[in-house]
Amino acid sequence: MEWSVMLRELAEGMLTSVEIFTLTLLFSLPLGLLVAFGRMSKNFLLRNIIKIYISIMRGTPLMLQLMVVYFGPYYIFGIRLPQSYRFTAVIISFVINYAAYFAEIYRAGIESIPLGQYEAAKVLGYSNAQTFVRIILPQVIKRILPPVTNEVITLIKDTSLAFVIAVSEMFTQARAIASAQRSVAPYVAAGIFYYIFNYVVAAVMEWFEKKMSYFR
Amino acid sequence: MAKKVLVAMLALFLLFALSACSDEKPGIETVKEGKFTVGFDKDFPPMGFVGDDGEYTGFDLELAAEVAKRLELELVLQPISWDAKDFELESKNIDCVWNGFTMNGREDLYTWTEPYMANRQVFVVRADAGISTLADLAGKVVAVQTESSAEAALKDKPDLVDSFADLIIVPDYLTALMDLEAGAVDAVAMDEVVANYQLEKKGVNFVILSETLAEEEYGVGFLLGNEKLRDMVQEKLEEMAADGTLARISEAWFGKDVTTIGK
Repeated sequence: MEWSVMLRELAEGMLTSVEIFTLTLLFSLPLGLLVAFGRMSKNFLLRNIIKIYISIMRGTPLMLQLMVVYFGPYYIFGIRLPQSYRFTAVIISFVINYAAYFAEIYRAGIESIPLGQYEAAKVLGYSNAQTFVRIILPQVIKRILPPVTNEVITLIKDTSLAFVIAVSEMFTQARAIASAQRSVAPYVAAGIFYYIFNYVVAAVMEWFEKKMSYFR
Repeated sequence: MAKKVLVAMLALFLLFALSACSDEKPGIETVKEGKFTVGFDKDFPPMGFVGDDGEYTGFDLELAAEVAKRLELELVLQPISWDAKDFELESKNIDCVWNGFTMNGREDLYTWTEPYMANRQVFVVRADAGISTLADLAGKVVAVQTESSAEAALKDKPDLVDSFADLIIVPDYLTALMDLEAGAVDAVAMDEVVANYQLEKKGVNFVILSETLAEEEYGVGFLLGNEKLRDMVQEKLEEMAADGTLARISEAWFGKDVTTIGK
């Protein structure tokens, strides 16, 4: 196989990986914030439901969650699966899994802000929503960037799990080519692809961190 | 300094490697001394799979056990990832791949024993799907295992593949059959031996199309050039065919003698 053909095949798989990556971040970052609020809620029931959710998401392998989300509707409820559900199931699994992790990062960030700031805001006449959006959140974002970068990089590498429900992302392509060509070159190429992708993500996050380092 | 240490270490390694060679008993050369290491896909019933007692079992593995016994070697069952079988062989982790291993199309890639049984690649569909011929597969979603001989057979029939709505590559047959049951795919292209066993065992509402995809043969595959071990295994297989052991094991698994050695 020509290098160009191999790289094209890998690039195709990369596209799927990037799609999973983008959609997951798009939904799990906001969802994570909602989950964090639920986790810190004064409502006993809500708080504990969210605690159980986070505990299950963190306590079971993502690979298993993928299979449950994909096959669950049929084996539990008897619903015939449409072909298009395959990719949707990947996104649902990744989003609910990553939202749980992001929620805990958000919580750590929010709880690290001293209570005095809330009191000061109250004295100045800020509403609760104003306090959060204008005073707390900007500081939280600054603080949680490093752990969020960690999760985002893990996410790129986790996209390879999508193959358990037969979504061919890059690593699957690499394995198939490696096996067909009896060569390790596709693995090397895949490794470089992942590294470059992660390098770009890390660079963007670093730039963002610098942007956010005002008042220092 | 560092360079000197490196050279010394390399020299040591070489010394070990050489002495390891000279220590080897004349006789049977396998990747692990005194052991016969068989690589197999553990999701491939009835050839090799996890049995009811949690131990690896299967038709092929039973044959391998019998051969190992006759060669006076200890059998090591090494489950492998099917798409990494070449690397496992080349890196000398396993002696052979023995697991419903289709010879057709791979004749020049491995050193093979004589074929020990025949197989066909078939399509499995849901009984209520209204699919009865290959032509009915037009516009349907078909699943096939990655790097399987069914996938290779499909590559030889581009017209048929073009008529499908989509060809999905799955990691293993069991997932493919779950997909079929759940309705996300309409047909699975796979080995008839495996399909028959699944249909019988699971009692699901599947049928096998009478039109087949390809006819083929199973053999035991060794690293290209490893004729010495291959010949020994071949000899024992022939011995087992002659004294009826092959037929006995085959009847236990398939209810009839499906083996082709010595016939």
